[in-house]
Amino acid sequence: MNPSEICHLSASQLSGLVRQREVSPVEIVKAHLTRIDSLEPGLNSFITLLPEQALAQAQASEREIGAGRIRGPLHGIPFGLKDLFYVNGVRSTGGTRIFENFVPATDSAVASRLRNGGAILLGMLNLHPLAYGPTGENRDYGDMHNPWDPRRITGGSSGGSGSAVASGECTFALGTDTGGSVRIPGAMCGVVGFKPTYGRVSRYGIVPLAWSLDHVGPLCRTVEDCALVMNVIAGPDPKDPTTARLPVSDYRETLNRGLRNLRVGVPKEYFEAPVDPAVKGAVERAIGKLGELGAAVSEVSWPLLRYGQAIASTLQMAEATTFYKKLIQTQGNRLDPVVRVRLEAGLFISATDYIQAQRARALFYHQGLGLLGEVDLLAGPTVPVTAFEPGQSEIEVEQGRMKVIPWLMQYTRPFNLTGFPAITVPCGFSREGLPVGLQLAGRPFEEATVLLAAHAYEQSTEWHQKRPPV
Amino acid sequence: MDKRAWFNKETFLRTAEGAGLKPGDPHLEELYAYVQNVLPGLQVIEELDLKDVEPMSSPGVQESSR
Repeated sequence: MNPSEICHLSASQLSGLVRQREVSPVEIVKAHLTRIDSLEPGLNSFITLLPEQALAQAQASEREIGAGRIRGPLHGIPFGLKDLFYVNGVRSTGGTRIFENFVPATDSAVASRLRNGGAILLGMLNLHPLAYGPTGENRDYGDMHNPWDPRRITGGSSGGSGSAVASGECTFALGTDTGGSVRIPGAMCGVVGFKPTYGRVSRYGIVPLAWSLDHVGPLCRTVEDCALVMNVIAGPDPKDPTTARLPVSDYRETLNRGLRNLRVGVPKEYFEAPVDPAVKGAVERAIGKLGELGAAVSEVSWPLLRYGQAIASTLQMAEATTFYKKLIQTQGNRLDPVVRVRLEAGLFISATDYIQAQRARALFYHQGLGLLGEVDLLAGPTVPVTAFEPGQSEIEVEQGRMKVIPWLMQYTRPFNLTGFPAITVPCGFSREGLPVGLQLAGRPFEEATVLLAAHAYEQSTEWHQKRPPV
Repeated sequence: MDKRAWFNKETFLRTAEGAGLKPGDPHLEELYAYVQNVLPGLQVIEELDLKDVEPMSSPGVQESSR
């Protein structure tokens, strides 16, 4: 098989070929290392590459599979981790030179589960420093570049994860999502990004940003691949007390149930907010498609939505600053200047501000949950704009000048506050050839419904088959 | 309370020093401008009627304790 073709196959397709002995894990890993070699440092997706380790693991996988011991659908499949997941013996920088020599002596729960499932780690992926920013800009390790137009941002904070998956540098990646950091680069890089319910996937061994908002999730080129990854990483973990002791279903098994009998609500507040016309058009057409596929689509209202940014910002600033307080005091001048002021600003959030925000969160959560009593899913844009050039703090749109940072997160953050599962799936392109994402969100712990709806939409379109020009 | 009024320069510098930031660091000017720009927007929470609403520390607690 042509090595460059290997790099564009899904995990599901590769898994089938591995089982049929049509391609070997060594061939798969070598093809990806060649691809990485041809695209780096142009895209700047990786901070640390692990070629020897990956090849050794591929050879071991080949022996195991040859002996008939197949661990599961991810056996022999290459992936990347955002560079804030701990992997025993592998440097973890958090995207800042301050931690350039930090090597953890333990595995994050998800790294361990993926290794046990036979997946092969290719390297650690670039990110917005300390995961504190939605654009994918990084002074210390260099900005991440969008495979659809390398002059533009990837979105963040898991920008390296988005660009590596979109460009075929790895088959899937894991990111973290505190305000949209899986879904924003997913949408801007034209891949699927899934944030499960808060408590569904262990966060053990991951550098936190804001404990009550942080989630772990996969970025893949298909929804089916997200289901496969979720099947490996989801479930309770005694090392993370926030994980739920609830059963985990086989997410792949339920993917083909279709949209009939599902009710999809579109919050009217989504399109009252400032949104790029290209995004609005693509998302409206995608919602129309959901209707054609059998869903009952209706307009709903989430009046508290406009408070989501203030509530989430208050919580995130206080929590992130608490975690990094010592660092701010002792090495603040070594931090990326923009990240530094964001962290320091949290020092001015009082205890009563924080508790008030937690009370507002309860109100916000229950209104959202009530809405999901009326409908099964909420649909709308993932990000209000397509990828733009770096260095911009404001962008002019029809409705006025928007501050980039809060604006990028206006649709994603509500689901960090509520913890509801949410996915972005490609739903079109702008005139400039830049991807647009459709976001679907569901009830807590009903990941299967979110995935099946995204899968039904994806399979009825060709967006996921398009490849970036790199 | 209106944060913009409360956060005069003197209060800002006192809070910054109390939090362990170096007094006299020219960087504090940049931080002051940022805080003045961002914090007032968070006060919109005060518009909400939170009477009888208890704080929610994280969204997972209720579901996982079912």
